[in-house]
Amino acid sequence: MTIFRIGLGAACALAVGGAVAALVGSGTVLSLLTQAVVYAVFASGVGLLLKQNGMVSFGHALYFGVSGYAMGIALELGWMPAELAVVATLAAVAVSAFVVGLVIVRVPGVAFSMMTLAIGQMFYLTASRSRGLTGGADGMNVNWPATLFGVPQSLLHQPAVLFLVCWCAMVLVVLGLGLLLRGRFGSVTEAVRDNEERARFIGVRTLLPRAAIYALSATIAALAGMLSVLNTGFISPEALHWSVSGVALMMVVVGGYKALWGPPLGAIVYFLFKDVLGDWASHWMAIFGVALITVIVFSPTGLAGALQRLRRGRPAASAPATRPASAH
Amino acid sequence: MNDYVLQAEDVAIHYGGVMALDGVSLTLARGQIRGLIGPNGAGKSTVIDAITGRRRLTRGSVHLGGQDVTTLGVVERRARGLSRSFQRTSIFGQMRVRRQVELAAHSMNPQGCVADAEAVLQELELLPRADDVAEDLGYGEQRRLDLALALVGRPTVLLLDEPMAGLSVKESLDLARHLKALTQRWNVSVLLVEHDMDVVFGISDAVTVFELGRVIASGEPAAVRADPRVREAYLGSAA
Repeated sequence: MTIFRIGLGAACALAVGGAVAALVGSGTVLSLLTQAVVYAVFASGVGLLLKQNGMVSFGHALYFGVSGYAMGIALELGWMPAELAVVATLAAVAVSAFVVGLVIVRVPGVAFSMMTLAIGQMFYLTASRSRGLTGGADGMNVNWPATLFGVPQSLLHQPAVLFLVCWCAMVLVVLGLGLLLRGRFGSVTEAVRDNEERARFIGVRTLLPRAAIYALSATIAALAGMLSVLNTGFISPEALHWSVSGVALMMVVVGGYKALWGPPLGAIVYFLFKDVLGDWASHWMAIFGVALITVIVFSPTGLAGALQRLRRGRPAASAPATRPASAH
Repeated sequence: MNDYVLQAEDVAIHYGGVMALDGVSLTLARGQIRGLIGPNGAGKSTVIDAITGRRRLTRGSVHLGGQDVTTLGVVERRARGLSRSFQRTSIFGQMRVRRQVELAAHSMNPQGCVADAEAVLQELELLPRADDVAEDLGYGEQRRLDLALALVGRPTVLLLDEPMAGLSVKESLDLARHLKALTQRWNVSVLLVEHDMDVVFGISDAVTVFELGRVIASGEPAAVRADPRVREAYLGSAA
């Protein structure tokens, strides 16, 4: 994809966000959309790991929740200004995840997923039982200061403004990843994902790029966690629970992980589904499950893949028919 | 000091009590093509694995351009100009052809990787498929892509593990002739493992014959073909 198309896509997405913020008058709808966009950022992180490393994480809620706790604790203890705490938390998550990544990305397949699950649940239980520091199972309030990066809280917490902040963060994440993965880093990580041994034989070191992708995906999850506590002002162990990672994975599968905008699309569809179905079906997850199976069977590349095929004007199944003529 | 670009001395690889290689020595002069032949299980692919660093040596040494590379890893050896292809096609299935060849070129020549990739794609007639995803290519094209990944960046030593596997007789001979012309033009030395005797004896400057992890004959193709031990052990009376 050319830089022009990536830039155009980002500009259009920002315009859509601006239009939604301006046109949707209902605070409830905007609040729902904000929550969806927070999860869209989270799903981008989980999707990045699957797209570039081919790895499934059941433990990214760890980074989503830990960044919220880090903000809550830093602000409560008054260690540093909130702005510095935001930057320091993201940096600390990036460095810690890189170190953890250096160990666990060596583990292939299901074993990797199980390790992410184990590490995530370890922090869930720790947060649940550390009443003194985290408030235990009751959670803790995140006491944001009166202004953040020069913006007064009264303005920041208007539904339209908060939605727009989260939406811009989502667009910038997808834009940044799009630009980053166009270059050599993208080629290296794709090669390692496709065929690690051959990658080494063409001169590519395979461990550091995989750990870097893991750290980047964790940092994006941490950014989402931070937006979540900005939205709610509250964090509890539930944010660290593996089921939160599972929901993010469902969003990635529904949206499709091959396109960078697939996971955010999946997150928004998930929340709309939840809202619409939740009104008249208490077991809406069962219906969503059927939808999930349908997507996996009929479009393994998710909604994004299906939309890309529609745009090209032909189903994917017709592509192989053209191969024999051009085959050697 | 000699002018061998590759020198393997007394190389042995043992797996427990099994001797996959037992005291193999071979050399490669600049621009030379050396064919490696032998029955299945003789140790031909293991020699390539030993030289590239894929398998740890039980004994012996490997020198590349006069430098001892025995303890170096795969990536370091590649950076020093040692490259290989694989018996089973080993490419990056979901990447576009040009993108993966450029990546392979980058480790050898970061500044000129785009031009290097273009030249190899042109030589191996892959330019028309350069913007396609590799898994969409036909089998023959995928074999040539495997070769392109090894050949790009003009390595000093190229180890080819059955590059003609699965190709028709005509495709094999065409590719062999093309490969010989190309490696001579680019001054690349080649160690060629191949079952197709017409190919091996047709393009090699020297041939080494393996049996049960040992070298049983080595020399010019005509001399090797005439060696009674080789005729008996491998080529058969019809050779």
